[in-house]
Amino acid sequence: MKIVFDQVDKKFGIVYALKDVSFEVEQGEFVFITGNSGAGKSTILKLILNQLKPTSGKILLGDVELSQGSKDDVNNTRRKIGVVFQDYQLIMDKTIEENIALILDIVNYPPEKIQSRIDKVIKEVNLGSRRFLFPSQLAGGELQRASLARALAIEPEIILADEPTGNLDSENSWNIVKLLKDINKENNTTVIMTTHNNEIVESMGKRVIKIDEGEIVKDYKHSKK
Amino acid sequence: MSHLKTTWHHIRRSPFQSLIAAIAMFLSFFFITTFIIVNSGLSTVLKYFETKPEVTLFLKDGLDTSAVENIKKDLSSYQGIKEITFVSKDKALEIYKEQNKDNPRLTEMVTASILPASFEITVSDPNVLEQIYENYSTKTDVIDEIIYQKDIIDSLLNWTNATRKIGFVIILIIASISFITMVTIIGMKITNRKDEIKISRLLGASSFYVKKPFLLEGIIYGLFGSILGFILAFLLALVSQKSINSFFQPVVFIDFKVNFYLILLATEIFIGAFLGFIASCIGVKRYIKF
Repeated sequence: MKIVFDQVDKKFGIVYALKDVSFEVEQGEFVFITGNSGAGKSTILKLILNQLKPTSGKILLGDVELSQGSKDDVNNTRRKIGVVFQDYQLIMDKTIEENIALILDIVNYPPEKIQSRIDKVIKEVNLGSRRFLFPSQLAGGELQRASLARALAIEPEIILADEPTGNLDSENSWNIVKLLKDINKENNTTVIMTTHNNEIVESMGKRVIKIDEGEIVKDYKHSKK
Repeated sequence: MSHLKTTWHHIRRSPFQSLIAAIAMFLSFFFITTFIIVNSGLSTVLKYFETKPEVTLFLKDGLDTSAVENIKKDLSSYQGIKEITFVSKDKALEIYKEQNKDNPRLTEMVTASILPASFEITVSDPNVLEQIYENYSTKTDVIDEIIYQKDIIDSLLNWTNATRKIGFVIILIIASISFITMVTIIGMKITNRKDEIKISRLLGASSFYVKKPFLLEGIIYGLFGSILGFILAFLLALVSQKSINSFFQPVVFIDFKVNFYLILLATEIFIGAFLGFIASCIGVKRYIKF
C-alpha cells in the first residue's frame, strides 16, 4: 500500500505541527523519520493512522483518502497497519497474550490460528516468560516489545513504529530494529519508524525523512556505514 | 476472543457495578412477579364473589305459579344473567335444616310455611345486579325483601382496583429506577474502559465491535434479574401458599398452574433481556460518540 502526503498542513490552534509536508512511501520501503522532540514525527504517524485529520492537503493510503473516507474505509485500512505506539497503548487489564488476541480478533484472524500466531510473535519478540502478565507488571522495554508483538501479529502491510527503541537498552534496541528490518525484507512490509537514535539510522542505510518545526528539511537515503 | 468472553471480562473487572445493575433488575422482576401473583389471587377472589348468587329476591307469601313464572321470565330478560335458581318454601326449609343440623332446637318449630320462597340470581356481569336491585325494590306487591351484597362487591372492587393501581405505580417506579441505574452503570463501565475503546478503535475495531460487549452486558443483567426475580417470588409464593390459601378459603388465592407460570417466566425473560438491551443502547449512545 503506497502512502502519499500531498501538501499536508496540520495545525493545533494557531500552531503548525506540520507545514506543507509532501512525500511518498512505496510498498516495502523502510523509512526513518527523524527530528527533534516536537518536530512533528509522531503527528505524521497519527495522520497516517487517521488518528488526526489534516488541516489541509491530502493523505492517501493506497487509493483511499482516509480523512474523506467512510468509517469502514478507516477501519479496514487500520486493520492493515501494525502500530507500535510511543506510549505502548496496551490495555491494562488484559494480559500480553490477551492484548495480542484482541487485535487478531479485530482483524478477523481465523480463530483456530490465533493461538499459534500469538505463540509465534511472542517468541519473535522474546516475551515468552511474560505472556501471561499484565502490562503493569512489565518493564518499559518489555512493554515496547509487547506493543511490537501486537503490531506484528496481524501480518500488516505497514508498520508504524513511534520511537520503538526509546525505552530499550542498546542490545534490545538493535534486536528490535533487526526484527523490523527482517520483516520489511521477508514480507515486503512497509516500515515507517520515528527515532532519535542516529546510530541506528546511520547503520541501516535506509531512507531518512528529517523534520524540523513541522517541515521536511531533508529526504535522503543514508549510505550504510 | 468471543464477545461473550469480553463481556464476562467486563463484568468481572467491575464486580460491584455489575452487582448493582443485576440487583436493580432482580428487584424489579421480583416485585413484578409478586405483583402478578397477588393480582392473579385478587382476581380469583373477585371472580369468586362475582359469580356467587349475588342477588336474592324473597317473594311475598301467596303468589301463584304464574306470578312466580312471570318474575322468572322478567329476570331472564336481563343481559349478563348467568343462572336463576328458584328456591321453593320446601327447598328453603331443607337448606335451613341443613345449615342448623347441629342445633335441633332451631329446626323443631320451623315449618315450610314460615320460610319465604326466593330467587337466587347469579350474574356474569356485576353491573346488572344494580339494575335488578333498583327495579325490584319498587315491586313491593310481589317482593318481600331483597338481599344484595352491593357493599361487599363494591369495596372488593375498589380494593382490587386500588391494589392494582398502587402495584402498577410501585412497579413503574422500581422499573424506572432500575432502568436508570442500568443506563448509568453501563455509562460508568464505558467511561472506565474509555482507553480500551480508544485503543481498539485505533487498531481498526468497528464501532459495533466495541459497543457489542456493553449491549450483551445489559442483556445479561436483564436475563439474570428476570430469572432470579421470578425464582425468588415463586419460592416465596410456594412457602406462603398454605397459610395464604387457608386465609382466603374457600378461594384458592395462590394456584400453581404450570402453564401460567411458564408463560410468566418466558415473558419476564423476554422483557428482562429487552429492557437490558434498551438500557445498554441508551448508555452506549450517550457515552460512545463515534
